[in-house]
Amino acid sequence: MEFLRAASVDEALAAAGDGAAFVAGGTNLVPDVLFGRKKIARAVDISRLDELRFIEEADGKIRIGALATVTDLLDSRLIRDAAPPLYESALEFAGPLVRNRASVAGNLMDASPAADLAPPLLSQDAVVELASGEGERVLPLSEFFLDYRKTAARPEELMTAVVIDPLGTADRCAYYKLQLRRAMAIAVVGVAVVLRMEESVCEQAAIGMGAVAAVPYRASAAEAHLRGKEIGEAEIEAAAAAAADGARPIDDVRASGAYRRKMCGVLVRRLLKKALGMPHAAAV
Amino acid sequence: MSTYEIKFSVNGNDEILAVRGEETLLRALRRVGYVEVKLSCEGGDCGACAVLLDGVAVNACLVFVAQADGCEITTVRGVGTEDDLHPVQEQLIEKGGVQCGFCTPGIVVSAKALLDENPEPTREDIQRGLAGNLCRCTGYKKIFEAVSAAARQMKEGGDS
Repeated sequence: MEFLRAASVDEALAAAGDGAAFVAGGTNLVPDVLFGRKKIARAVDISRLDELRFIEEADGKIRIGALATVTDLLDSRLIRDAAPPLYESALEFAGPLVRNRASVAGNLMDASPAADLAPPLLSQDAVVELASGEGERVLPLSEFFLDYRKTAARPEELMTAVVIDPLGTADRCAYYKLQLRRAMAIAVVGVAVVLRMEESVCEQAAIGMGAVAAVPYRASAAEAHLRGKEIGEAEIEAAAAAAADGARPIDDVRASGAYRRKMCGVLVRRLLKKALGMPHAAAV
Repeated sequence: MSTYEIKFSVNGNDEILAVRGEETLLRALRRVGYVEVKLSCEGGDCGACAVLLDGVAVNACLVFVAQADGCEITTVRGVGTEDDLHPVQEQLIEKGGVQCGFCTPGIVVSAKALLDENPEPTREDIQRGLAGNLCRCTGYKKIFEAVSAAARQMKEGGDS
């Protein structure tokens, strides 16, 4: 394997394609190469492109540079205040040794169905910025994951930033990662919910789901039971049932598909109640 | 096969190595004698290979060694020596936080990084700080006690 350190984004883009892979934190790619799960002709090291490592507020959005690490998310006041589900997912992400290296873009580019950052980013209407020698384009994260470990990014494209809507005083949110131990675990189910309330009416609902289908996704059918409604027990039950119905989980070493599906309903119900401050939500 | 000449410092010693593109920092360090960095899962799960890379605690198995060109690396032997133990090392001995010892180099590195950032950690802070380091012997209790005691020892040392 050839190794090339890019000194700039342009240099990285020039070295892309033809079996090349970008490597940042390396927390997924390095063992994939070591154990032969991925064959790459050339590793293009982007880990020192400091211009891609930032978290900033711009034009009413939060821009997260591709190389912001998961530790950077935890250290960011902006993320803590205006993206609580993302902050909480970073708390549950692997352990500190991995968080110190793993980048936000790497977690998305790896395209694991269980990518921890995907459900909260989806719940905040994330858009990803992709650059190549031919220019830049933006894509909603909900259209980025195409199939199991398959993304809309072309081989020569570099993810440069992820942009999300900050949550404000009208937003209610909650996040939960169901996992088999307290750290270093791959999610059994990951759910993030965001509700924008106008008085007692839900103006917007966003529910990001992880580890329960080939890709992380928005539970649109569940959201439709909430949007434009005054949310009571009936709406919550309908959304929970729709979330369970919409899941396409597999059986694996961590859980059966049937259990995951059931937990989709349980977690969506609990998280909606938690977000809205309704009783009987203490279990999450 | 592509090889590259890289330079880095390990515990203050300058090293020049010829490396292959796919070689990991962990394997390269062990190849040139830094066998205190333990090789175990090679997947980032166990933390036995933890080192400080420019002061940041990382799994050496998850870094291509070429990515560390020009960096400063600290292994457990750079945290403290037999003659001059770091408080974390002293307290691991004092509290019985070492049994088979295989995880200890990684535990020491993670604990040092934690205490550098957070000199007065709560029990939960310590548990979270060591969440990437597996120990199959101790049940962690004595390790957590040792890190807590090391924090107190460092504070008292600092005040005097």
